[in-house]
Amino acid sequence: MKISLVPVPQAQLSDNLVDWLHVEDRRLGLISSLDGGQLVTLVLDCTDASAQCWLTPLDSDVYHSLTPSVPQAHWFERALNDLFGIRAAGHPRLKSVLQQSSCKGNLHPLRSIAQCGNPDHGHKSDNSYLHVSGEGVYEIPVGPVHAGIIEPGHFRLNCLGETIINLEIRLGFLHRGVERRLTEIPWRSARFVAEAASSDAAAACAIAHAIAVESMSDITVPERAQYLRTLALEVERVSMHINDLGGMSVDLGWSWLAANLSRLRGMTQEMAALLSGSRFLRNFICPGGVSVDPDARLGELKRMSEVVSKQLEVPINAFFDNSSVHDRTVKVGEISRSAARELGLVGVAARGSGIAYDARQHFAHGLYPALAPAMAVETAGDVLSRLKVRSAEIVGSLDLIRTALDNITSGTTSSELPNKLPGDTIGVGIVEAFRGELIHLIFTDKHGAIKRYCIKDPSFNNWTALAIAAGGNLVADFPVCNKSFSLSYSGVDL
Amino acid sequence: MSTILLWLLTFSCLLFLPSLTIGIIRKTKARLQNRVGAPLWQHLFDTIKLLRKSETVSENSSWILRVNTVINISIMITLAFLTPWLSFKPATSADDLFLLIYLFAAIRFFAILSSLDPGSAFGAFGASREATLSVLVEPAIILALSAVALSAHTSNLSLVFALTANTPISQAPLWLLAGAGLFLSSLVELSRMPVDDPTTHLELTMVHEAMMLENSGPNLALLEFSSALRLVVLYGLSGQCFLHALHCIWPFASAAGILLSISIIFALAVVTSLIETVSVRLKWTRAPEFVAYGLTMSLLALLVALVTGVSS
Repeated sequence: MKISLVPVPQAQLSDNLVDWLHVEDRRLGLISSLDGGQLVTLVLDCTDASAQCWLTPLDSDVYHSLTPSVPQAHWFERALNDLFGIRAAGHPRLKSVLQQSSCKGNLHPLRSIAQCGNPDHGHKSDNSYLHVSGEGVYEIPVGPVHAGIIEPGHFRLNCLGETIINLEIRLGFLHRGVERRLTEIPWRSARFVAEAASSDAAAACAIAHAIAVESMSDITVPERAQYLRTLALEVERVSMHINDLGGMSVDLGWSWLAANLSRLRGMTQEMAALLSGSRFLRNFICPGGVSVDPDARLGELKRMSEVVSKQLEVPINAFFDNSSVHDRTVKVGEISRSAARELGLVGVAARGSGIAYDARQHFAHGLYPALAPAMAVETAGDVLSRLKVRSAEIVGSLDLIRTALDNITSGTTSSELPNKLPGDTIGVGIVEAFRGELIHLIFTDKHGAIKRYCIKDPSFNNWTALAIAAGGNLVADFPVCNKSFSLSYSGVDL
Repeated sequence: MSTILLWLLTFSCLLFLPSLTIGIIRKTKARLQNRVGAPLWQHLFDTIKLLRKSETVSENSSWILRVNTVINISIMITLAFLTPWLSFKPATSADDLFLLIYLFAAIRFFAILSSLDPGSAFGAFGASREATLSVLVEPAIILALSAVALSAHTSNLSLVFALTANTPISQAPLWLLAGAGLFLSSLVELSRMPVDDPTTHLELTMVHEAMMLENSGPNLALLEFSSALRLVVLYGLSGQCFLHALHCIWPFASAAGILLSISIIFALAVVTSLIETVSVRLKWTRAPEFVAYGLTMSLLALLVALVTGVSS
């Protein structure tokens, strides 16, 4: 997608953003910075699939916070504070998103070297928790080391009896320097790091990276490669959605369903292996096309997708026919439509709360929007709605896989790449990963080297929703609520 | 058969049945999920392994945490000797119904104290949930046992559970209802599905497991053994009720009683694994409803006992 750079002075940024978001089909993509000397705001318009990049130069390390007027800016501003050392004055809760252990002293990993010597921008990281007091209120600390094998994150629950009053979520225990690393390595190798940004969505990350690179240097991707990319993205969606449903049945204590879904998840990973040679779709999608052509294996892939569709019928319906599941998921973890819109939710969480936003319908990637399946939208905003959306998407994606396999064209699977990227350009890739809208934004310097690589994982938008949804629910229902959002820690700890 | 042989048999049941029954539950569950599952004796291997490990004890805990294990295991072994959970177990004199109920309550009391002791949030809410559940479930167990005691006109459980010849067939519903009431209440008492999930890794949803989180090494081994023993004793007790119902209809020889006593425990273990495979864990606020099923069975048993008692 071609993208224009619009200078927006600091004084007008807040008003412009409020006006932009006032229109129903317009969204905020991300807020970040290049090297700490400016703000970069990516705004999206779903009606004509366009995007604008607003550049706001800053004259000091402190700027006026956007959060009071645009609530969804709050985590972006917290990230700016930690990663670049630019502080949002008037931010209601400017806590650190990086933990002390991964961000020592006043080190701001993405601030340019020249400015790092400046002692003025030093800030103390603030990791204090909201203190809830009153008779009978107690705190439960959970994590960052969890009982299951998952990523590190800390949940601080303030409870009264069996009810959660307030949940605070802390991430950032493993800052890996992905965005910085992507600017240091040769751009031809960047795809390996880019797809590892959140490895359970490797195909989505790789497509977002590829589209961003292709849009900069006007590379046309062969049609067969577009089909294969679409297949990869949908196989990943089916696989991870089944994995999430399986996780949900584990948390509900429903072992036969968990066992069945884990077997079916294995089959979808086998589908991924048939398509790409990797069960996790790694090293398959690259700028210009795809790295290997599965040729004859596509027939087997089709047969397997039919088997999976058939065998999924019983497990998926089981969720909606069981009264205990109903008890545990209805009116649990509710997010209202207005809250979802204010927080800028994406993916299953947004569609479960009645927001009809699916990047496949609006932004070109793979064969979308031409081949995009009908959107599954539920309005209740509770755990059951998210379950329904997820189940419907599995069915939709399996249909789409078969359609794509029926219509796939023959031909080459990759096109030539230039030796270097054009200078001073911006490339953006917007992809509907299984968790929701994923954005890769690339800026090159005048020599064509990547000077800033910005990744906005879908979980970045949705973590706050979990904190809000958990409030007022039973402590014992928190795992189910958490699972229904299915959030990535590594996608945020870049 | 001589009493010494019977005591030896009881001893070996006490030592090996708990691990084997847990093994059967786990193996059946695994097979129902198309998994091979751990060996049948894994629980025993784990116990031996834990006994050889060193312990990590929280700095914030006091002597209560350690003493609990000793109290817990010793009361449980006493209970295993007193309770008539196997038809061939030689009778003891001090097996009054109310003594047994309050010995079970004593175990819970110390378990709750010990999980509050280290001051961990998980242990504390585990204790709070355990206390809630036990308040709910205790009446059901008392009523079920009172029903059978009432029909036998004694609270000495050895006499109540002694297999006597020529029991009228009209006694069968009483024993069946009491057995069902006891079994459903045991599921709650033993923190099994659907009110608690013994296999969960999610601390926030735990009841019984949350109380054990601070124990490790030999401490944990003894507590695990104690809770497995509690499981076979309670299953044995409800199993005996079912066997009495069977005895009313089709009197069997006391030698067959040995085999039947043990196999009914295994059968109940298989039923447990079936329940745990197909059911979804209840919402916490729905747990009292499940307890009510057991309570209803016990109340019906009591009603039958009163009616048949008047007529005889």
